[in-house]
Amino acid sequence: MTSKIERNVYLVGNPNSGKTSLFNSMTGERRHVGNWPGVTVQKLEGITSTERATLTICDLPGTYSLTPATPEEEIVLRTIDEAATGCIVNVVDIANFERNMFLTTQLIELGIKPVVSLNCFDSFSKAGGTIDLQKFTNFTGATPFPTVARTGEGTHSLVEYIAKESIDEQTNCENWLTLPEEWLAAAEEVLKLKQTNWQKAKPTQRYSALSDLIRLHPHGADPKTLKIRENLAETLSKGRAKPVKITDLACELATDRYRRIEKLIAACASLPGKNIPTWQEKLDSVLTHKFLGLPIFALLMGWVFWTTFSVGEIPMGWMHSLVDSIRGFVQTNMQDSLIKELMIGGIISGVGGVVIFIPNILILFFWIAILEDSGYMSRAAFIMDRMMNSIGLHGRAFIPMIMGLGCNVPAVLATRIIDNRFQRLLTMLLIPLVTCAARLPVLVLLCGTFFPENPSVWMFALFFVNLLVLIFLGQMTSLLFKTGENSPFLLEMPPYRLPTPSSVFHMLYEKGAHFIEKAGTVILAGAIVIWVLSVFPREVPLSFDYNAELAELNAQKITVQVSDQIAQISHKRDIELMEGRYMARLGKLIHPIMRPLGFSWRETVSLIPGFLAKESVVSTLSVLYLPYSEHIGDAMRKTGMTPLTAFVFMMFTLLYIPCIATLGVIWRESGSTRFTVLALIVYFAIAYIVSFVALKIGEALQTSTAWLEGLVIVFIAVSAGWYLLRTFIMTIRGNRCNSCASSNKCSSRGKSNCSGG
Amino acid sequence: MVRTTVSLSDLPAGSIATIRDIDAESPTAQRLMDMGFVPGTPIRAVRTAPMGDPTTFEIRGYQVGLRRSESGLIGVEIKPDDK
Repeated sequence: MTSKIERNVYLVGNPNSGKTSLFNSMTGERRHVGNWPGVTVQKLEGITSTERATLTICDLPGTYSLTPATPEEEIVLRTIDEAATGCIVNVVDIANFERNMFLTTQLIELGIKPVVSLNCFDSFSKAGGTIDLQKFTNFTGATPFPTVARTGEGTHSLVEYIAKESIDEQTNCENWLTLPEEWLAAAEEVLKLKQTNWQKAKPTQRYSALSDLIRLHPHGADPKTLKIRENLAETLSKGRAKPVKITDLACELATDRYRRIEKLIAACASLPGKNIPTWQEKLDSVLTHKFLGLPIFALLMGWVFWTTFSVGEIPMGWMHSLVDSIRGFVQTNMQDSLIKELMIGGIISGVGGVVIFIPNILILFFWIAILEDSGYMSRAAFIMDRMMNSIGLHGRAFIPMIMGLGCNVPAVLATRIIDNRFQRLLTMLLIPLVTCAARLPVLVLLCGTFFPENPSVWMFALFFVNLLVLIFLGQMTSLLFKTGENSPFLLEMPPYRLPTPSSVFHMLYEKGAHFIEKAGTVILAGAIVIWVLSVFPREVPLSFDYNAELAELNAQKITVQVSDQIAQISHKRDIELMEGRYMARLGKLIHPIMRPLGFSWRETVSLIPGFLAKESVVSTLSVLYLPYSEHIGDAMRKTGMTPLTAFVFMMFTLLYIPCIATLGVIWRESGSTRFTVLALIVYFAIAYIVSFVALKIGEALQTSTAWLEGLVIVFIAVSAGWYLLRTFIMTIRGNRCNSCASSNKCSSRGKSNCSGG
Repeated sequence: MVRTTVSLSDLPAGSIATIRDIDAESPTAQRLMDMGFVPGTPIRAVRTAPMGDPTTFEIRGYQVGLRRSESGLIGVEIKPDDK
């Protein structure tokens, strides 16, 4: 028996062309999610085997053209040489034929012979489209396969074909999609400068020769290349009324490609005209209606939110009781030892902290899969884009942000709906500033503790500050990085489709497994680290033999007095133990940094377990403050904490760090340690600065008289409100230049010196 | 025949025009051209979002939403008989 052929297959295609569906139907469950070397872009690989061959199928990021606009798309270009040695399957959404063929044309120009999967063939023929496959082959040299990736129709023969011994090439045909002579000659000259020629050059070399010819900003281009460009422009100008300028070359090439595509399509197919049927356009006019669009979206979001977090509480309760019963089981059935403590305090709590998120994540992703598959997601982004754009985000970022109100963890996972990496990272950075539901009880507790008179006012103040920080950070980052990142906003509207169970299942499976495997381990490790810090060193030198005293008291007859004494002594012992542990030592070590904010070492220490879960801030504080008073608020006041420092402390607690679970998913989803560390520093710095400013303002207020205080507060509130208002007004008015009627003729367009006239 | 050239961002929803030119200065231009926004292509403004931006356009049989910052790069020609 001969050994099987091993072949690498690369899927390339436009976004929304059904590439991933095709990948799913080709590979089934045997897949591997990794990263592309050097960049943190997800790489999806799967294996499928037939009788004759083992195919390793690689799903390349979706792109409209080989000219990259994002790091994801750069991967396609970088992989093309490697892919040309294997087999390239070009997924073409035939319902959107012309535009999808652009990438195909680029591939063919570079000398690649792709196998073309004519996807979404069902909606194409349903809309009345027809295609002559034989003619298509004759005019392109590529072998087409009609497929319906969502149902798996046609994929079998596609797989059979690429698994063949050798993929037969159509040689005896005229290829209508190849480069025109003028362009080929010019590219040949550019390659000559690089001591090679078109025949010998690899696809990427050919690509770069072409892009040398059309580059919009030919700065630094050598004079020889410029000369070639001039000659090319001259050749193209022949017989035309308007001469071609060398800055028009990019446009010329794109126009020429579309001309070739139009010719091909006219020869071999009849298209239905548009990919969105009329009834769907009517649906669109309701769903994205001027007045109805937003309320419908709000209702849908409300439904998703409610099911995710309220209905999600039911399975969460099961998870809780399951974890509790395991803990109880360990408690009763294991001998007292360090391992038992580790099990209870570290591992079980840690695992519990991971599984608790699963119901939320699964429910949320069920809806996301449905919204995404049905095509509504793009409409939602369309509706929300202006608002999100005001804080530098993409319209699609709205859903992750609003989910952040429930829990930051699924929200960070939900950022995967944003295609652009920069936008995705920016959204991830901002999500932890959305106050999640778990932070609410902490706030209630803190406000109730420090300000028992009117906690709601203070809570509102905290929320307001938080919102300001969120908007400010969003604007700052997008302002700082916008110029560096070239990310055009192009929001394609796919036709509405019925979601298929298999794609929903794939989404849930992938997200669930991915979360447990990747983020789960980080959360668990974090829980164990915090546990170690809080219980080690085991032996703390005590100033007093509490245990002996306790034993003595325990031996006595129990009276009210005695039990009081027992309680007091054990509290004292607990505090001393706590002070001796690494956590408190660490807190005292970093206390000098926190002192300018007016925090005592107790507050500083309590922030460390807050890393794991913010609730622990309160519980740690209550232990540390016990000797002063049963009530933390009283105790803190007794030890010199003013309402002002309490407010500052609350603000700091709210902002200083997202919980370990959020941090874990940010780390895993961004795939970048640098980004995560940077984000951590950013949060900490923001918390510090905001708290410090609040403290200083507060101090200034305290030294002044009451009316002045009121005045300043009014001033701050008004200016903050004005800032918010201005932001929204500015975004609603839009860029003055672009709405300017003469913008097309205005020479200073896009520059700051536009007079607006 | 009277022809009016306007920026695509000023094309009222529901009307049809023909692309005339694209501002080659912008880095976005290349992507727009790759997606089929080339001179001579008919384009229709479909709908503007509730908050006034972005706007969806129909071109080459598909719909795409562009912000003003992108659609402003494209110059279109409205022929009187298209209106």
